[in-house]
Amino acid sequence: MALKPLEIYKLLPKKNCKECGDPTCLTFAMKLAGGKAKPEACPYLDENAKTILGASTRPPVRKIRIGVGERAVTIGEELVQFRHEKSFFHEPGIFMAVTDLMTPGAIQERVIFVRDEILTRVGTDLRLNGIAVRSVNGSPTAFTKAVEAVEAVADLPEVLMAGDPAVMEAGLSVCGNYRPLLHAATSSQYWEMCRLAKKYACPLAIRADSLDALAELSGLCSAEGIENLVLDLSSLSLSEQLNRSTAVRQHAVSRKTPALGHPVCIDTAVSGLPDAALIAGVTKFGSVLICDDLSSASRKALLVLRQNIYTDPQKPIQITPGLYRVGSPGKDAPVLLTVNFSLTFFTLQGYLEASRVPCFMLIVDTEGLSVLTAVASGKLQETLVRDAIAKYNLSAEVAHKRLIIPGYAAPLSGRIEDATGWKVLVGPRDAADISEFLEKEWKG
Amino acid sequence: MGVSTLSEWTGRIGELVIGATAKDGGTRSHSVTIGGEEDLPYIGIPPSGHRPLVAYELSDDPELWPAAATRFIGDRVHDTAEWVAHADREYQPDLIRLYLSSTRERNFSDISRIGETVESVLQATELPLIIEGSNDPAIDSAVFQKIGEAAEGERILLGTAEAGHYRSVAAAAMAYGHSVIAQSPIDINLAKQLNILLRETGLSPDRIAIDPYTGALGYGFEYSYSVMERIRYSALKGDSDLAMPMISSAIDSLVVKEVREADEGDACPTAVAWEIYAMLPATIAGASIVCVRHPLSIEPLKTAIAALWNGEPKGGM
Ligand code: B12
Ligand code: SF4
Repeated sequence: MALKPLEIYKLLPKKNCKECGDPTCLTFAMKLAGGKAKPEACPYLDENAKTILGASTRPPVRKIRIGVGERAVTIGEELVQFRHEKSFFHEPGIFMAVTDLMTPGAIQERVIFVRDEILTRVGTDLRLNGIAVRSVNGSPTAFTKAVEAVEAVADLPEVLMAGDPAVMEAGLSVCGNYRPLLHAATSSQYWEMCRLAKKYACPLAIRADSLDALAELSGLCSAEGIENLVLDLSSLSLSEQLNRSTAVRQHAVSRKTPALGHPVCIDTAVSGLPDAALIAGVTKFGSVLICDDLSSASRKALLVLRQNIYTDPQKPIQITPGLYRVGSPGKDAPVLLTVNFSLTFFTLQGYLEASRVPCFMLIVDTEGLSVLTAVASGKLQETLVRDAIAKYNLSAEVAHKRLIIPGYAAPLSGRIEDATGWKVLVGPRDAADISEFLEKEWKG
Repeated sequence: MGVSTLSEWTGRIGELVIGATAKDGGTRSHSVTIGGEEDLPYIGIPPSGHRPLVAYELSDDPELWPAAATRFIGDRVHDTAEWVAHADREYQPDLIRLYLSSTRERNFSDISRIGETVESVLQATELPLIIEGSNDPAIDSAVFQKIGEAAEGERILLGTAEAGHYRSVAAAAMAYGHSVIAQSPIDINLAKQLNILLRETGLSPDRIAIDPYTGALGYGFEYSYSVMERIRYSALKGDSDLAMPMISSAIDSLVVKEVREADEGDACPTAVAWEIYAMLPATIAGASIVCVRHPLSIEPLKTAIAALWNGEPKGGM
């Protein structure tokens, strides 16, 4: 755990000289504890205090970047064991693997897929992140060719997977400037891998048989000057994968074993159950997930699961309340009421676009609650609708006074009519039926 | 050094038994036990407690069931017992969960048919059963009474109790020796409250399974996942009002947009993926029973759970 204010206070010089910008050492200590100040702001810290405070204000899981440019992925910097304690911050990067036994054509097909395929959900583009290149052939030339094939079609982040430092160096000669993750150092060759990681300024994955050995190896690599480490926890056994990733996060956030305060990497092909390994990796602390080919169904479900697990559980994804247009609605176009929960908005919008009826969407502020949830909790009220009609000047936009409300808001229809003076039409419950409804009830 | 998981818990999840064999006065081939954990899900080698189980859900009214699920079963859907027998034989779930959805038809009154359906299902399978009754105060009492009676001695799990109506379910469970599913809408405090209400009816805690309500993947699952984690965490920290095993069913999985609108060839794998990618995480968050409606979800889920469990399959026997 991070240090408490009083524990920090004991380490401070207690001069109350205000040079840190705070009135007293104690208030400075409180800020440090809350992560709102940096230890360097006090010029009088002794070495011991610097080391302790530096460690305790650093995130318990180190932040690391893989790749360069727009598609670079940031991982780590996590603070908690459970997402409900705060949130998880950096989604795991998902890397699809190619091998140096594949033809350049087959490699490029997969790379282009990762480069271009997008799943758009609730206004966000979900995509796989990068490419892992496996050395299977064993020869440096084959590896170089495979990496060249990848580089020829995309600037995606890469994981170079070669246990032989000579092969690794061959790959780095092609893409070393683009910060690939080197996978992986072991106790038998770590100093050579560290040398490469240092030469090319790349993050380095490390692998060992037990967590004790992994912590030791982490220390050895740090001693070689490599701090950007990723812990490989791939295992034949999913049970072991889950137990180890849980232990690593527990030891990291409790700061019991700082050598394990690094993001986790999992090669999900190892267990022979890739979907299950990916699921365990997304939910339980994986930061780099490597997979072989993925079916379209698995890819979509995986991306949505990752989006679910990495949204802040305290704050639903919201959109700004207001009046939105679908197509170019005229004065007689229908107005549809809904809430500002992103999922609701984008679902309805999708069906409205498909219906090809130009219209207005009146979005009221339910603080991100869905229709049914907002109705059940009493957050969706007639006054909210009345105020929104006035605020967004609806009377100036349309020449009628008819408002379509969601089917689930039917219990409110009378009260909305009374409060607004608008005629309320209760729409279908399911937005998928909106096209038919507009055809029949609005035009007809 | 000895780096391993840090397990400083004081609480323990209670055990719940479903199904009774001849020895216990029932007709099931075996009974199953869930719960009993003293740590986070799957943690420990082998883990504590019992392995999570997979229940297959079906309905006595196929009209109300997602086409993605019934398409696979063919004409058998019109004969509930045949559907059950087929599923038991072909897909080998750990449990069958029967929804008596016909009770949700307007002005339903054919209570005796409920009894017949339950009896025929008990004949059709020897697996332990979960049975879902009505959702209407006007008929609840008669319906749950009938189910309870028809399954007397079989130690079924009976659903569903909610804060608004729980007395009829609890009464039937107590009268005929069954257990109860206690459902609350994705809220740890409401889950706890309902358990307290049920306790006050006289139902003992080892006859309650918590259903924290599960939104489908992409449609509320993020909330359900964390509520399950919080319930499990509170129980391990010592809150005995939450120390019951959980059941999770992402009932809307087969009707979400992604599944409905999948391309012809992708429809079936998408349906299966949508169930697995919610239900396996549910077990990781703490669910002891996960439920699916697509028959092809059963086998991969069981395999994945066994791999995560890695111990002797203690659940089941
Ligand atoms: C996730 C969820 C939550 C999340 C909130 C998520 C959010 N941002 O709203 C949390 C956990 C916070 C939550 C809380 C509660 N929830 Co809740 N929750 C759900 C859940 C699982 C999914 C909701 C969802 O995301 N739906 C998807 C969106 C897209 O649906 P939607 O907004 O309704 O939009 C659809 C339609 O309405 C339509 N539509 C939308 N706009 C328009 C406009 C027009 C014009 C038309 C025609 C159609 C249309 O199109 C959409 C797609 O078809 C539902 C169960 C379910 N299956 O719905 C329960 C559910 C809605 N919750 C419920 C309840 C009771 C609650 C609480 C009151 C419980 C409590 N704790 O006290 C609270 C209230 C919140 C509060 N702050 O007090 C109940 C409601 C019961 C009822 N029938 O009234 C439900 C049904 C669960 C249940 N079965 O018990 N909930
Ligand atoms: S600068 Fe250092 S010594 Fe001075 S008040 Fe701030 S914390 Fe105390």
